[in-house]
Amino acid sequence: MGQRKRVAAVKNPSSQRHSGAPAEATRVSNRKHNICMVSDFFYPNMGGVESHIYQLSQCLIEKGHKVVIATHAYGRRKGVRYLTNGLKVYYLPLQVMYNQSTATTCFHSLPLLRCVFVRERITVVHAHSSFSAMAHDALFHAKTMGLNTVFTDHSLFGFADVSSVLTNKLLTVSLCDTNHIVCVSYTSKENTVLRAALNPEIVSVIPNAVDPTDFTPDPSQRQDDRITIVVISRLVYRKGIDLLGGIIPELCLKHPDLHFLIGGEGPKRIVLEEVREKYQLHDRVRLLGALEHKDVHGVLVQGHIFLNTSLTEAFCMAIVEGASCGLQVVSTRVGGIPEVLPEDLITLCEPTVRSLCAGLETVIARQRSGSVPSPASIHACVQNLYTWRNVAERTEKVYDRVAGEEVLPLDRRLQRLRAHCGPVAGSIFALFAVLDFLFLLLLQWLVPDRIMDAAVDATGPQGLWRRETESKNEAYSKRAMKRAADRETL
Amino acid sequence: MEDETFTDISGKSICLDCQSHSSFCREFTVSSPKVSIGKVMVYTCSVWLLAYAVFFLTQNTAVLSSAILITLVGMMFHIHFVKVDHETLLVIGSLGIQVSSSYASGREITTFIEMSKIKDIVINEAIYMHQIIYYLCVLLKDPSEPSAVSSVVPLFQSSKPRLNCLVKVYKSCQEILSKSQ
Repeated sequence: MGQRKRVAAVKNPSSQRHSGAPAEATRVSNRKHNICMVSDFFYPNMGGVESHIYQLSQCLIEKGHKVVIATHAYGRRKGVRYLTNGLKVYYLPLQVMYNQSTATTCFHSLPLLRCVFVRERITVVHAHSSFSAMAHDALFHAKTMGLNTVFTDHSLFGFADVSSVLTNKLLTVSLCDTNHIVCVSYTSKENTVLRAALNPEIVSVIPNAVDPTDFTPDPSQRQDDRITIVVISRLVYRKGIDLLGGIIPELCLKHPDLHFLIGGEGPKRIVLEEVREKYQLHDRVRLLGALEHKDVHGVLVQGHIFLNTSLTEAFCMAIVEGASCGLQVVSTRVGGIPEVLPEDLITLCEPTVRSLCAGLETVIARQRSGSVPSPASIHACVQNLYTWRNVAERTEKVYDRVAGEEVLPLDRRLQRLRAHCGPVAGSIFALFAVLDFLFLLLLQWLVPDRIMDAAVDATGPQGLWRRETESKNEAYSKRAMKRAADRETL
Repeated sequence: MEDETFTDISGKSICLDCQSHSSFCREFTVSSPKVSIGKVMVYTCSVWLLAYAVFFLTQNTAVLSSAILITLVGMMFHIHFVKVDHETLLVIGSLGIQVSSSYASGREITTFIEMSKIKDIVINEAIYMHQIIYYLCVLLKDPSEPSAVSSVVPLFQSSKPRLNCLVKVYKSCQEILSKSQ
């Protein structure tokens, strides 16, 4: 299935537009971009979006682009930080409202974001995740400032309930004049196109990736007198933790040598604790709590079977990580999951307790009879399916395409808003766009662009970081100092 | 030694004066423009006009006299506590760094940091109000723990020069520091 998707991706006209014009493609692909990734979600917060942004940025830096990341301040982590290879992160002091997402008023983030865009001489603004208010704000301001915009959607939404109707409207408004949209799977593309009423031509599919060197199988860590099922996910409703709560007692009753290893933290932890308490499974169900990314590998290699019970998922990174560690993967058949792995590496079930139990039973039986492929062979299958370099290459093509496009001037933007988003919402957001533009003019009068210092490039064509790392010790001490100094920022 | 014009982060012109007393002793003075008469007039007039409007409505002369008092006290407060005329950074190799800022009234605040406590002088970035700016700072270390930074002293806090000015000061400071360490 993975192979089929790749062929489809090559044929997909939107992601490969330049292949038809090779001369133009070579000219454009030499161009280096100044990219600003904006999202509410970044380290120290953990999750798929966070690692996606980080890995993608690292690969783009390797390709010679300049990348900076803007996110909101996390507790005492505010100001400017540098990560590996000179990846610069702005932790802007914006108020967090709900679930690590900032409050949006459409305007208050403009001064700081403008400052970032101007001083870093940004050409492409790449926003991530539709849950992130800051990403939408950044798109809105970037369009006002005349910058090219790209948006990556990491999640699937429904259409029926009130909250999704509202978020879909917001997404329609936010994406109707965005240059290009990236989705992580074909299911996600379909979903986004329908939700935001977009032209499918400007939506590309670029899947997530895993670092195969981080996730290598190690069968010596397994205990052979038992079968261990590993679950690693945030313990929230969307991840189907209630299903997991139903599966555990049923299977534990049938198979006395079955153990569960559950990593992750969240509001649904109580469900699992109750199950463990009720059925006296303390020695067989271990809840590991929140895991750091570096510890995930250590947990995965202890298991035989990886279980994913998500109820909605655009592209599941966890199952690729699980398969990369050589585990048998059992997952629900929801969202983009069927696209992710070839059929012989995954057992798909309906999102019900009965179907998941049946799926797990067959895998357990196979595991007992020893008819499963060896971890090393599974790893070999998976390791070249999804690499970050490939993701970066494809994203680069999107940037090349976007850089050639014009940003709508204000009058045409207003027309587009009113034509695409309905008379009421369209008019309201057209008014917002005008106010934003006026606010920008005010800011440009108060603090003109020319008196803002251009930032010293750490990455990109004129990046100073590489030269610095040549004398490694010195660079390290400089960085350490800088980090310490950041802690004291005003 | 030389005199160049630089601007601060809000675009006002400032003066950087570098004096080299000897090869291991340099003095940098950043001076901001003086309080302009026009600005004083505008503030005074607006307070007085406001006071007159209140007087017109209430017919109470105490308002007028208090307005005069407010402007006088306000002006004194401003030049004594707010308005910094110039800031000086005196770097003496092997001895230490002296930072002093003198207010428009002539009041001066001086601090001295001895060399054993100084780890380095660096240019750093910070978010200040609704801007992101560069600033020069001295990194301090605890003599008992020489590898860690114990605290940070920002320099030129009230004049806030732009990067080109900071780089100039930074380079000559580093020259002296590298000689003395």
